[in-house]
Amino acid sequence: MMSTKAFILVSAVERELLTGDRERISIECVECCGKNLYVGTTDGSIYHFLLEEKALPAGTATFTATKQLHRHLGFKKPVNELRAASALHRLLVLCDSSITLVNMLNLEPVPSGARIKGAVALALNENPVSRDPFCVEVCIISVKRRTIQVFLVYEDRVQIIREVSTPEQPLAVAVDGHFLCLALTTQYIILNYNTGIAQDLFPYCSEEKRPIVKRIGKQEFLLAGPGGLGMFATVAGISQRAPVHWSENVTGAAVCFPYVIALDDEFITVHSMLDQQLKQTLPFKEGHILQDFEGRVIVATSKAVYILVPLPLEKQIQDLLASHRVEEALVLAKGARRNIPKEKFQVMYRRVLQQAGFIQFAQLQFLEAKELFRSGQLDVRELISLYPFLLPTSSSFTRSHPPLHEYADLNQLTQGDQEKMAKCKRFLMSYLNEVRSTEVANGYKEDIDTALLKLYAEADHDSLLDLLVTENSCLLTDSAAWLEKHKKYFALGLLYHYNNQDAAAVQLWVNIVNGDIHDSTRSDLYEYVIDFLTYSSDQELVWKYADWALQKSEEVGVQVFTKRHLEEEQNSFNPDDILTCLKKYPDALVKYLEHLVMDRKLQREEYHTHLAVLYLDKVLQQRPSADSMGTEVTEAQAKLRHLLQKSDVYRVRFLMEKVQGASLPMERAILHGKLEEHEKALRILVHELRDIPAAEDYCLWRSEGRDPAYRQQLFHTLLTLYLSPSSSAPELAVAAVDLLNHHAAEFDAAQVLPLLPGSWSVQLLCPFLTGAMRDSVHTRRTAQVALGLAKSENLIYKYDKMRLKGSSFRLSDKNLCQTCQNPFCEPVFVRYPNGGLVHTHCAASRHMDPSSPRPGART
Amino acid sequence: MRKPDGKIVLLGDMNVGKTSLLQRYMERRFADTVSTVGGAFYLKQWRSYNISIWDTAGREQFHGLGSMYCRGAAAVILTYDVNHPQSLVELEDRFLGLTDTANTDCLFAIVGNKLDLSEEGASESLEKEGHSSGSVGDGCVSPKVPKQVKPEEAMALYKKILKYKMLDEKDVPAAEQMCFETSAKTGHNVDLLFESLFDMVVPMILRQRAQGPPQTVDISCYKPPSRTKSGCCA
Repeated sequence: MMSTKAFILVSAVERELLTGDRERISIECVECCGKNLYVGTTDGSIYHFLLEEKALPAGTATFTATKQLHRHLGFKKPVNELRAASALHRLLVLCDSSITLVNMLNLEPVPSGARIKGAVALALNENPVSRDPFCVEVCIISVKRRTIQVFLVYEDRVQIIREVSTPEQPLAVAVDGHFLCLALTTQYIILNYNTGIAQDLFPYCSEEKRPIVKRIGKQEFLLAGPGGLGMFATVAGISQRAPVHWSENVTGAAVCFPYVIALDDEFITVHSMLDQQLKQTLPFKEGHILQDFEGRVIVATSKAVYILVPLPLEKQIQDLLASHRVEEALVLAKGARRNIPKEKFQVMYRRVLQQAGFIQFAQLQFLEAKELFRSGQLDVRELISLYPFLLPTSSSFTRSHPPLHEYADLNQLTQGDQEKMAKCKRFLMSYLNEVRSTEVANGYKEDIDTALLKLYAEADHDSLLDLLVTENSCLLTDSAAWLEKHKKYFALGLLYHYNNQDAAAVQLWVNIVNGDIHDSTRSDLYEYVIDFLTYSSDQELVWKYADWALQKSEEVGVQVFTKRHLEEEQNSFNPDDILTCLKKYPDALVKYLEHLVMDRKLQREEYHTHLAVLYLDKVLQQRPSADSMGTEVTEAQAKLRHLLQKSDVYRVRFLMEKVQGASLPMERAILHGKLEEHEKALRILVHELRDIPAAEDYCLWRSEGRDPAYRQQLFHTLLTLYLSPSSSAPELAVAAVDLLNHHAAEFDAAQVLPLLPGSWSVQLLCPFLTGAMRDSVHTRRTAQVALGLAKSENLIYKYDKMRLKGSSFRLSDKNLCQTCQNPFCEPVFVRYPNGGLVHTHCAASRHMDPSSPRPGART
Repeated sequence: MRKPDGKIVLLGDMNVGKTSLLQRYMERRFADTVSTVGGAFYLKQWRSYNISIWDTAGREQFHGLGSMYCRGAAAVILTYDVNHPQSLVELEDRFLGLTDTANTDCLFAIVGNKLDLSEEGASESLEKEGHSSGSVGDGCVSPKVPKQVKPEEAMALYKKILKYKMLDEKDVPAAEQMCFETSAKTGHNVDLLFESLFDMVVPMILRQRAQGPPQTVDISCYKPPSRTKSGCCA
């Protein structure tokens, strides 16, 4: 274990100031209170010095002591112990088994002569039970066997408050609140002097060594254990820290957080309470006393007094970090929490975490580094700035001073090792990606995202595109230059697009598609551009690249017009402009017209006619010779027929002219149909095409949504055609029979029968005739039922009329009109079914004026 | 310093491998250890609880510290060496008494370590045979000896402990659950040992907290003051 420098030893009182060359006299005890240093000697003297501290730039200090007073107590006995009670201005002096109170300044005994007699050792209670600030609690080991006494000591009097006996003779005592920590002859115990409850701690052997009982903080003691252990124990009798390992012959111990200091014949040793490790060893011969007084650690030989000056914690931490002892530095820094004001601690601790993070980082311990950076709230730019060229040129960042690490940049850190460099870059990538959406990034989003973009681009990482298509803060100029340098043109386009420079983006992509620059990020870049234009609301941009798009592929290119959002399209693009543009691209033109007619269902005659003509041209083009009439219908022809049938707005006659003589009978038939020239149409279907099903379909198609009479008319026309004497083809007769039998309902049998040739058997037309008969019978019966019902209804009315006419009544001038309450002056009146009589004019006005009372309602 | 919520103490004769067990579990490694001086402890975060695990010194010299370490323990791991029957005997003779200061509901686990050195254990172990540093200082350094302590003996000790503690077998985990055979060297059963103990200790922590100073007033136990002492208006 490399050692830490936690303390330096400086001289406080030189030999000359004290005993000089009187060999027999030596130091027996020391007390320090503020600037006052008291030394008790074997010859019964007390020396009072004033300590002047002089701070040194390194953070340490030197001390000079000036003698204030020297008083001999008058006994030839050594001064065993000195304790200052500064609130009382008293010094407690244990000499010759008696504790006297003397004035702190002139060392004169108090006039009252108050003293505690019969004391072997004493301990002040630093966690007093009493709330009185003008008294101190003193606990003594009495000369009486196995007895501890507790006193309250005032300015000029003492008062015993408790005496407790112990199971064995006590040898050393420390006190905290009600708890006494005692070294007995064979063991250490905790004794609550209030309740008398004792708790064994652990055994030791007082014959082998002197016990040490030292209060180190609230409710916690440090004890010398077996095998040179420094054991920690709380008042509850448990240990919350692992022991420190001293030498066997330790004679004194002191605490200066976070260190435990121990003294033996040859050395002063310093252990950390945080990790129990030995941190420092200072050679110190003939050490005699080691004590701490409110944070000041004093050691003494029998002739001279020294002070252990702690190095500032920050210096210790920095020393540890400088030797890459991260764990220890962190433990020490964290342990300093209680010694440093909160704000100052946080700043210090954060900095230590960051420094530690960089040390781990330099050792490629990325997981640890990340955790340290995170908990140290590192300004990410500190890390980014290690990587050359990653921070944007515009960044205002400067590294913190003093620097958090010793590295100029990554090249120095990795010493040019490419593999290490790559690892570092991968780490930064993942780290930035993690923090960019957290609060760590606040204020430096541009720097982080730009750095991330650069890393991705350089590493050819897929996430580059993800970064650019989602919300990001990449700085345009810096990023653009970098992407260009790494030939990431597609990504550059995305960057332009994100920065609302679509024109630049598209230009770049078009250049890639054209092969002017090379970037293989997307193999379907053309389709991507088309898609981009389709969703772009920038008309100018669309027009600019429309020709380019159509030249590449009419079918795909036209999507920039056909796949747009409908509302947006209707608002901005004029179809006529587009049609003009598309003149050069026939396939695209068809697609666009189809889009207008089919998808948008525009009912403009030009579009429909234009589309029909284009279809027709194509059909004619595909079938140059009239005689090669195949049975199968080409796709173009199917489209043409569909349009001709479904659309109602094209110019029929114009098309008819074009179709005429082009041997397109079916199309002609459809056009005739559109013109309501059914006979012509059917004639074509029946005689020219001999397409019976088509003829029947025609009848259904044309009669769609019309009244039954119209449909009957159509079917009748067809039947007439089948049966016309001009065509005596037998299949037509069969067709006629089938037509009648299958569509019996569409015919008026009375009209059909005269047309039928007399040679046909009834058997042949059985289904038709049966149907017709049923229909006829049904009609007749329905009519009879209706007639019967009408007659009954008539009868009911007749009955009512008779009933009303059957009775008579008298009208006199005593009768009053129910409406106006006036008498009837003329023999004209209206009588309501309930018997009410009113004037004719009143009855008339009642129907006009709904507010007047209804006579009928009264009854 | 985080305050531990519960304490587990490793006890056992010297050289049975207490430090190695703890090191294997906490640091996932097996390395030479020196004889433990006094004691050491680790804090383990288990779910949301901090459990302190104390490694004690097996040497006779530090025996006196055991009681203090065991004070307030929620669980004690009594460790022996499967190749040294005496180490099991010592558990009963010397170490069981130290646990008197532990919690009244303290759990006991009995762990036979160094399974890798016995014949059965060695066949399980994939690691190449080697001299275990844990067995420095005693006569038996040759690996591959028949296992000297049978698991049944450990279970018998467990039942003796229950008797000594005057616990009913029905109230505590069964012997099969609390007796382990491990190898700190290969890691065999080490995680199982510690983690099963943690899982058993957590409910004890909760129970202890519930018994601590009550934070809410339980109105269901409220009993109206007795009316036998009549007031003035009675």
